[in-house]
Amino acid sequence: MLTVVLFFLFFSLFLYVLLAGADFGGGIIELFSLPKNQEKTKQTIYRVMGPIWEANHIWIIILIVIMWIAFPEYFNIFVVYLHIPITLMLLGITIRGVAFIFRHYDAVKGKSQTSYNVLFKMGSILSPLFLGVIFGGLVGGNINLHTTGANLGFKEIYIDGWFNTFSLLIGLFYTALCTFIASNFLIGEADDEHELNEYRKKASYSTIVLVLIGFIILLYGYFNEVAFVLDFLENPFSLLAVFISGVVLIPLWKMIKLKRKVWARVLAGVQVLLVLSAAMLAHFPDIIITSTKEVSILDGVAPDSVIFVLGIALIIGGSVILPGLFHLMKSFQLIKLFK
Amino acid sequence: MENLEAARLQMAITLIFHIVFACIGMVMPFFMVISHYKWLKTKDKVYLKLTKAWQKGVAIFFVTGAVSGTALSFELGLLWPEFMKHAGPIIGMPFSLEGAAFFVEAIALGFYLYGWKKLPEKFHWFTGVIIGVSGVMSGILVVAANGWMNSPSGFTYENGVFSNIDPIQAMLNGAWFTQALHMTLAAFVATGFAVAGIHAYQVYKGRNVVLHKKAFSIAIIFAAIAALFQPISGDISAKDVAERQPSKLAALEAHYETEKGAPLYIGGIVDEEKQEVSYKIEIPKALSFLAFGDFDAEVKGLNDFPEDEQPPVAIVHYAFQIMVGIGTLLAIVGLFYLLSLKWKKWQDNRKFWLLFTFMAPLGYIALEAGWIVTEVGRQPWIIYQVMKTKDAVTPMPGIFYSLLFYTGIYILLTCVVSWLMVRQIKVLNQKEA
Repeated sequence: MLTVVLFFLFFSLFLYVLLAGADFGGGIIELFSLPKNQEKTKQTIYRVMGPIWEANHIWIIILIVIMWIAFPEYFNIFVVYLHIPITLMLLGITIRGVAFIFRHYDAVKGKSQTSYNVLFKMGSILSPLFLGVIFGGLVGGNINLHTTGANLGFKEIYIDGWFNTFSLLIGLFYTALCTFIASNFLIGEADDEHELNEYRKKASYSTIVLVLIGFIILLYGYFNEVAFVLDFLENPFSLLAVFISGVVLIPLWKMIKLKRKVWARVLAGVQVLLVLSAAMLAHFPDIIITSTKEVSILDGVAPDSVIFVLGIALIIGGSVILPGLFHLMKSFQLIKLFK
Repeated sequence: MENLEAARLQMAITLIFHIVFACIGMVMPFFMVISHYKWLKTKDKVYLKLTKAWQKGVAIFFVTGAVSGTALSFELGLLWPEFMKHAGPIIGMPFSLEGAAFFVEAIALGFYLYGWKKLPEKFHWFTGVIIGVSGVMSGILVVAANGWMNSPSGFTYENGVFSNIDPIQAMLNGAWFTQALHMTLAAFVATGFAVAGIHAYQVYKGRNVVLHKKAFSIAIIFAAIAALFQPISGDISAKDVAERQPSKLAALEAHYETEKGAPLYIGGIVDEEKQEVSYKIEIPKALSFLAFGDFDAEVKGLNDFPEDEQPPVAIVHYAFQIMVGIGTLLAIVGLFYLLSLKWKKWQDNRKFWLLFTFMAPLGYIALEAGWIVTEVGRQPWIIYQVMKTKDAVTPMPGIFYSLLFYTGIYILLTCVVSWLMVRQIKVLNQKEA
C-alpha cells in the first residue's frame, strides 16, 4: 500500500507542477506580452483554463494532505524550517486566485480591472518562484536543524535554509518551466497567425532560458559541492532522464512547426515528467537534505493501519475524480485526442 | 505578544474568515439550483437572471473559500507542527475524503459555470446539485476532524506515544455527528438569513421587487426550516458536551462550584478573579435538566479541574449566550415567516422586509460565537486531555508578524468581496430598470 500512497503523492505532484504550472505560466506570458496583445492573451487563457481552473489547484491540497497523513515527520521539517517561503507562496496563490476570479466576475468592467491584472501577474510570478525556492530549500543542504545543539539564531534556522543562490536558481528554473509549459499549451489555442507567432516566440525564449538556468544550476552545484547536484550527476537514471528530455526537444519543435497540437502537448508534458523524475530519482527517498544529515521521506512513515486506509481512500477517490476530470477536460475540448 | 497567543489569534482570525467564505460557498449552490430548476420549469426569465447572478456569487465565494482553505491547510502545519506530526496520520481520513469531495465540487463547478448552452440542460443542472452536495460533504468531513480534537479516539496514548491507530474509528469519533449536524444546520441558517436579508433590503427599497422577492423566498425557506431544527440539535450537542467535556460545559455556563440541581445562568457579567457571575438571570435546576435530563443531576464546576486545565470562562460564557440568544431569535423569526405564508398580507407591510434586513448578519454572528465556544472552550487542550495547545505551537519566533500579515490580507479580501457583491446587486437592479 505504501507504493500506492507514494504513487499518488508523485502523481499529484506531477499534475500540480504541470497543470498549475501551465496556469502560472499563462500569467507570466501575459506579463511579458506587449500591452496590445495582453487583452487577447488574457481571453485565451480564460477560455482555455477557465473550466479546469478550480480543479488545477486542488492537487496541492491532495499533495499536502497525503504528506501530513503518511509522512508526518517529513512534513514537520517542511513546515517548521520553510515557514517563510511557504507563507510567501501562499500569498502568491491567494492573490492570483482571487484576482483571476475577480477580473472575470466583477459586474462592472472598469478601472478596477487594472489592479486585478497587476495582482494576477504578480501572483503568477510569486507562486512558482517560491514553490521552486521551497524545493531548492528542501534539497539544497542549507537547512540548519535546531536540534543539532549548536547555538543558532533566527537567521540561521529560519532564513538561511531557503534564502540562498541555489534555492533562488531552482525558483527561477521552475518559473521558466511554467512559462515553457504554458506557451506550448497555448500554441494549440491561438486563434490567428499573429497570436500563434507570439506564443511560438514565447515557447522558444522560455526553452532557451530553461536550458540555460538548468545548466547554471548544474555548474553552480558542481563547483559548490551541493550534495543534491553531485548525486544528480552521479545517478545514471537522472542523467538518462535529462538526456532524453533534451532529445525530446527536437520532436517537440517539429510538432509545433507542423501544428500537431496534441503531440506538442504530450511531448511538453513528457518533458516536465522527465525533469521532475530526474530531480526525484537523484535522491529518493532522501528528499530533505539538511546541513548535517539527510532525511528520508520514509523516516517516521505513518503506521501500516494508516497507510492501508489512506491507500484505499486514494484508490476510491482517484477512481471518482480522474474520470470526472477527464470528462471535464474533454467536454471543453482541452483534450483533443479523439478528434 | 507571546508566540502562542499570536499563533492562536492567527488561527482564530483565519478560521473566522474562512468559515464565512466556506459556508456561503456550501449553501448558495442550493439556492442557485432551485432558481435554475424554476427557470427550466417555468421559463420565467427572472429566474434565469437570478440563477446567473447567484452563480457569480457562488464562483466568487468558492474561490475565496478555496484559497483561504488552501492557506488554512498549510497553516495547520505552519502554526501547529507538533500537533500535525502526531494527529495528522490519525485524523487524516476525514481530510483525505474532504480533499476528494472538494475535488468533485471543483470539477462540478467547472461543468456548471462553463456549461451554459454547451451541455444538455438536465445534466448541466445536475452538476449544480453536485456542487451543493459535495460542498456539504466537505463541510461535514472537516467538522468530523474537529470533532476528534474534542473527543479523541482511534488510538492508544501512552508515555507520549500514539499507537494502535485506527483512522476509521478516529473519524467516527464521539463528537462528529452532533457537531456536523449542528454546523450544517448553522450554515443553512446563517447563509439563508444573510442572503434573504440582502434581498429583503432591496425589496424594502423598492428596487427590482419581482426578482428580489423570488430570491428572498428561496433563501428564507431554507433558513426558516433549519432555524427551527437548530434548537433541537443544540440540545443534543449540549448533552454531548456535558458528558464528554465537563470543563467546557462548566465554562460555557460559568459554573465554578460543583453542585446538584445546578441552575441555568442566562446572561450576566463574569468576574474571573472573584469567580462570580453578576446580573444574571437564574433558572433553578434548569442546567442539570438540560445537560443530563435530570433536575437533580450533579454538574461539575470549574474548581474541580486543575487550574492549568481550565478554559477561559468569560469569553466562552459570553459567546455561548450570544449563540443561544440569536439562535432562539432566528427560530422565532423563521416561524414568523412560515406563518406569513398563510397570512399573506403581512408581506405587504414594509416593516416585514425591514425586519428580515436586520436579521441578515445575525446568523453569522451566532455561527462565529458557536465556534468560539467549541474552540476556546476546549482550551488549554488542542487534543482534549491528550495534548496541550502550548506543546503544539511552532518553535519559530515572530508569529506576531505573521498574524499581522494574515489579518491584513483577510480584511482586504473581505472588503473587496463585499464591494463586489454590492456592485453585483447594483448592476442587477440597473438592468431591470
